[in-house]
Amino acid sequence: MKRDYSNLYTWHLRNFLWRMLFSAVWTAVLIVIFSSCDDFVAVDLPNSQLTTPTVFEDRATANAAMLDVYAKLRDNGLLTGNGGGLSHLLGNYADEFDYYGTSQGGTVAFYNNVLLASNADVKSLWDYSYTQIYGANAVYEGVAASTALTQQDKDQLQGEALFVRALVHFYLTNLYGDVPYITTTSYALNRRAEKVAVHEVYAKVIADLEQAVALLPEAYVGSDRTRPNVYVAYGLLARVYLYAGQWQEASNAASAVLNATDLYSMTAVGDTFLKESGSALWQFAPGFSNGNALEAQTFIFSMGPPPLSALRSELVSAFGNDDLRRTAWIGSVTDGVTTWYHPYKYQNNAGTESTEYSVVFRVAEQYLIRAEARAKSGDLIGAKEDLDVVRQTAGLPPTTAVTQEAILADILEERRLELFSEYGHRFFDLKRNGLLDGTLGGLKPGWNTTDRLLPLPQAELLLNPNLLPQNQGY
Amino acid sequence: MNKNSLYKERRVYMYSLLILIYLFCLASYASEEGKGPSIKKIPDSHRLSSSQYHMLRVTISANQQINVITGTVRDADGVLAGVTVALRQAQGDQQIAGSSVITDAKGQYSITAAEGDVLVFTYVGYMTVTVTVDGSSVINVTMQEDATTLQEVTVNAGYYTVKEKERTGSIAKITAKDIERQPVTNVLAAMQGRMAGVNITQTTGTPGGGFDVQIRGQNSLRLNGNNPLYVIDGVPYSSDPIGTGINSAVLPTQPSPLNSINPDQIASIEVLKDADATAIYGSRGANGVVLITTKQGKAGKARFSSKVSQGAGRVTRFMDVMNTEQYLAMRTEAYANDGIPIPSYAYDVNGTWDTTRSVDWQKELMGRTAAFTEVQASVGGGSEHTQYLLNGQYNQQTSVLPKDYTYKKANVFLTVNHKADNGKFESQTRVGYTLQDNNQPRIDLMREAVTMAPNSPELYNEDGTMNWENNTFNNPLRNLEGSYGVVTQDLIANVMLSYRLRPDLKLQTSLGYTTLNNKELTANPSTRYNPAYGLGPQYSTLIASGAARSSWIAEPQLNWKHGFKHGSLEALAGATFQSQRSSQRVQYASGFSSNSLIYNLTAASNVYTLADDVTDYRYMAFYGRLNYNHQDRYILNLTGRRDGSSRFGPGKQFATFGAVGAAWLFGNEAFLKDNKVLSFGKLRASYGVTGSDQIGDYQYLNTYASSGINYGGLVGLQPTHLFNPAFGWETNKKLEVALETGFFKDQIFTTVGWYRNRSTDQLTGVPLPGTTGFSSILANLDATVENSGVEFTLRTVNVQGKDFNWSTQFNISANTNKLLAFPDLAGSTYANQYVIGQSLSIQQLYRYTGVDPQTGVYTFEDANGDGMLTADDKTAIADFTPQYYGGLQNSLTYKNWQLDFLFQFVKQENYNSSVYFGLPGSFGNQPTSSIHHWQQPGDVAATQLYTDWGNGAAIDAYYKFFESTGSVSDASYVRLKNISLSYNIPLKDYQCRLFFEAQNVLTFTRFNGADPEFKSVGYLPPLRMLTAGVQFGF
Repeated sequence: MKRDYSNLYTWHLRNFLWRMLFSAVWTAVLIVIFSSCDDFVAVDLPNSQLTTPTVFEDRATANAAMLDVYAKLRDNGLLTGNGGGLSHLLGNYADEFDYYGTSQGGTVAFYNNVLLASNADVKSLWDYSYTQIYGANAVYEGVAASTALTQQDKDQLQGEALFVRALVHFYLTNLYGDVPYITTTSYALNRRAEKVAVHEVYAKVIADLEQAVALLPEAYVGSDRTRPNVYVAYGLLARVYLYAGQWQEASNAASAVLNATDLYSMTAVGDTFLKESGSALWQFAPGFSNGNALEAQTFIFSMGPPPLSALRSELVSAFGNDDLRRTAWIGSVTDGVTTWYHPYKYQNNAGTESTEYSVVFRVAEQYLIRAEARAKSGDLIGAKEDLDVVRQTAGLPPTTAVTQEAILADILEERRLELFSEYGHRFFDLKRNGLLDGTLGGLKPGWNTTDRLLPLPQAELLLNPNLLPQNQGY
Repeated sequence: MNKNSLYKERRVYMYSLLILIYLFCLASYASEEGKGPSIKKIPDSHRLSSSQYHMLRVTISANQQINVITGTVRDADGVLAGVTVALRQAQGDQQIAGSSVITDAKGQYSITAAEGDVLVFTYVGYMTVTVTVDGSSVINVTMQEDATTLQEVTVNAGYYTVKEKERTGSIAKITAKDIERQPVTNVLAAMQGRMAGVNITQTTGTPGGGFDVQIRGQNSLRLNGNNPLYVIDGVPYSSDPIGTGINSAVLPTQPSPLNSINPDQIASIEVLKDADATAIYGSRGANGVVLITTKQGKAGKARFSSKVSQGAGRVTRFMDVMNTEQYLAMRTEAYANDGIPIPSYAYDVNGTWDTTRSVDWQKELMGRTAAFTEVQASVGGGSEHTQYLLNGQYNQQTSVLPKDYTYKKANVFLTVNHKADNGKFESQTRVGYTLQDNNQPRIDLMREAVTMAPNSPELYNEDGTMNWENNTFNNPLRNLEGSYGVVTQDLIANVMLSYRLRPDLKLQTSLGYTTLNNKELTANPSTRYNPAYGLGPQYSTLIASGAARSSWIAEPQLNWKHGFKHGSLEALAGATFQSQRSSQRVQYASGFSSNSLIYNLTAASNVYTLADDVTDYRYMAFYGRLNYNHQDRYILNLTGRRDGSSRFGPGKQFATFGAVGAAWLFGNEAFLKDNKVLSFGKLRASYGVTGSDQIGDYQYLNTYASSGINYGGLVGLQPTHLFNPAFGWETNKKLEVALETGFFKDQIFTTVGWYRNRSTDQLTGVPLPGTTGFSSILANLDATVENSGVEFTLRTVNVQGKDFNWSTQFNISANTNKLLAFPDLAGSTYANQYVIGQSLSIQQLYRYTGVDPQTGVYTFEDANGDGMLTADDKTAIADFTPQYYGGLQNSLTYKNWQLDFLFQFVKQENYNSSVYFGLPGSFGNQPTSSIHHWQQPGDVAATQLYTDWGNGAAIDAYYKFFESTGSVSDASYVRLKNISLSYNIPLKDYQCRLFFEAQNVLTFTRFNGADPEFKSVGYLPPLRMLTAGVQFGF
């Protein structure tokens, strides 16, 4: 190949043009590459996850999000039937159980009423509760932003979410006193959440429940009673009003439930906790197709000494001899010398066939709520009627109490017998009636007046100083 | 997604790169300008060939005899291509430089020389050979490798190579010479003790297991965020564990991803440590980069080589435990102390079991000899333009357990290099395929073997079935019922294409593809239960998991190099596009109709899917380097990278990393140039920022995922985490200063380096109060982790002669890990784990204060004096970070003999043997040292009183002991890690080498447990392996 180099200028020009062309080609290539930059690092969602908005554009997935909240309520925290739930912990904290289990772990501190702010159970009750509240708030917000769900579905889901939010906050404020009322999923706000006085928590609970009542349908979703309907919201509302001392409202809310006679009626003692029980307002569905209530596994034991907890003998002997509940709901084990008793409301601890569901709300409590509310507001006849419904079912004669005071005392005792080992009813009854010190003080050496509130979890105070001060006595 | 900001971002670097490209072109144009076309463009035909120059000279001095000299240049392994043969012509008393030629693919050369001229043979890494022409027309030369010319060797820095002496970064390197001579199946084992700043611990002796690799300490609070980046021939190889870890209970950690590479295939491993070396890897360089370069074919006639070796492996150390006499005495005393008669269930001591029997159960259960077999063959060769190497390898290793378990690995590897006739186009192709088939027990037997009562009954009945001794004996062989099996297939392929656009400008593209398939099965048959329970195959379970991962990468790159009068400038710019897809499915099956069908999912009556997902990872980057070398004295190296990763949310996907490195070769300064003592001197320093994106995929998304929990027949969906799209990279700022000096012609060569790495913006769960619904949120926590330390390496050539050579290499590293800051530590879930100012691998412990002479139980310091032992009393801190570690290697050759050995040493603390054992006095063997126990008031003893769970205070003290300083002790060791002896049989046409190699040969330690090298207590330690073999080639 021969080139004419005589004209240097031409050579330079040609060379320069060639170079510019080369650069231009490269520039073009690079522009193509660059223009796909942000697209390149954008990836599709994994097949195992859904974005939050998508979840609430579809009825099935939106429902699955709400169901998970119930599954969490069933398995962890306040309402679970396992050893970490209130049924067991507050039963030990008050006068229902004697504790026989390991000295490791937090339960023994509940039993001895020597809780520390660092107690693991205290912290997990708190943490699980707010996780459940987060789940409910996430459903509420997700549904609110949804464009595809029908109004009916939206009402249903939002009503359920508000109900759960109110339910958990109600328990929290009764356990811990002033607590934050969380209504958003924003961690930026929630990490600095401030405490709200107990009466304000009640006001918020009532507001949420009234909204839930407006949104929830009368009919249950599905064939069983594992998702709350409007009457469950009324049922909680009745309890909240009762605790708040608003007798008329409590009575009205309970009536709303009790008047729904096509749905609810008192059932025989032995049928109360069956999955098809007509006296149940709301039950937890088990986690397995052949599953049963977790309470059965927690409370029942077949050999002494008990591995965990046994009923206190005072409670067992408080039942009259002809009380049907004494035989139907209490089991016993003996080693020949000592006899131990356990709750036997839930009897099926095998996983072969599903027969019992854990009952969270039931008709008997509504009768007792209305009885108490009526008695407090002077309707002694109505109160006795309601109380006797429960007594009658238990095979007992009508109450002989006459005065308001005596009727109220009977109601309290009836609650103790009817609702024992259920969700800490006993502790809360003593507490709201100002009877904690009088009842537990003599019974339990570790009891102090300040024990009416649990300590706020230590780690929580360190991470969010807005929760200070710690409850008294801790 | 915020489009605006992304577009802006895109535009910024688009323009910057365009400017860079233009600068390239203009700079090269300008440089051409200076020279003008007249010099450059002389057609080849106009040039004088070397032979023509010769002819000219020949005519000048016709009195000398002129000959054409031919010959072949070899080294120990065969012919050497590319050796420069330079002619020095005698002219009176002086010699003047003449022409030079280069040996061809067959190692042959041809040059014209006169008698009395001198031929100088030079080749990088080899000692220069000079031969005076004496009239014969054939001069064959054998060259020897030269340990002192390593400064000339080029080092792979990933996207570029650099001469060892000119590098500005911290790069440690080992080559095939060291790797090949070790009987190991994972290359990480071959690296142990050989590189400063690289701390590698083998987590189990079970073959196919994992390694813990830390380059200059732990940078991230996330335990799985400390892996280095592995790059095999330019293709990043994910270090993320395969599968969920639900499977493989026999392995304490996930299998190492590098199991897929045959160590014998590796030509060199470079570990990039400081900012200068790692910043070009940007967001993936924070924990260092391990570059693995495989072997290449050499030009020449086809060379065949094969290697066969066979060996045996055994456990290095067992624990000293009581014999039956001592054991039974302890048991009897325990019951006496508890004040109860020997109960009916105490079969070991009440006469149910033979009390005269004494068995060393460690030997019985882990005392077999594991067989190691390796066969390998390769053929390689090629022409000047095309070279190839084909290698196949198979190895298998059995186990020390009393049942046959085998780890098998087969591997094929092909590489082809091609260079076009015009020298402009080059390509390198490498394809490797590996199959691993590992069959192991379900559970490691170590812990059970150590603690079995020495008079436990026979393992087998006379009919060969498992002996349950009338339901009194929990036979350890039950753990060997069923198995853990894993099959892994790997393909790694890459192509490197390059085209020299102009003499100083090269365009290259690296394309890579890797794919991996993994299947794991853990079978737990019902036969693992005592038949007395009557549990049939409906109680058998199977965990089956499958995982696949494939990734491709494309990296176009432009290299430019230009020399100036006083220096040279190199620049490169490139881009990376990588995409990876991973999938996994884990299933749990139960309720089988027969144990013979237990490996088949369809035979199960219940199958649960525990995990099933597919994840995508996309990654792109632009990177560049600018290097200026001024008169071989001052070197400045700038590297940078702009990274985008799909692991981050909109607006956070891109980040920039970079480093500046500088070196001063003061040895080349005029005042030192001819110094007789100092032959090399370099001071280098670097500072820069790298990052880490090892956080898993999709964490920035606001998502729901299946909770796996059923409610009323439906499985729930739960929020996966708190939604935070705004987290970014973990950043790691690295600073290093190092001094490299060579003395006496580099016969003594030292490197002293100091570094300080600070990791900030820790990507971790920022602790949150429970009111948020979660305990933490993934975000950049304002915590700082510092690793600082000193590394020292020494290389000496002790003797260098014709027959005998001896060289020594030594390295030692000391790293200090420190948590400098951690907001809200006290309220976080890490409160009991970390302490500000301390290392990340600490444990807060009670201070052990000995056995109380009065009560006979362990006592601990009640630090706050409140009369109770609570977490607040854990004031002692044990630091498990090694204080220092290193290795000492010697290589000796004498004629045809070669001996290499490596001592590895680690100064560290770790859990001692006490954590293996149960309550002293209870059922289960105890260490021999427990004989020195408390018996009566006044006794000063090391072990507390014996009890069989009858003494509450002693039980409590026993548990506290684990959380006290009593359970931690010195676990330092010196280990003859590797020894290799080989003999080359001097044959004319064949190469034949006999060798003996051994791993973990001797261990010197005061550690009172078994093997001091472990990360997790209770697993089979690395084995001692002895092998012998023969390598044959022609």
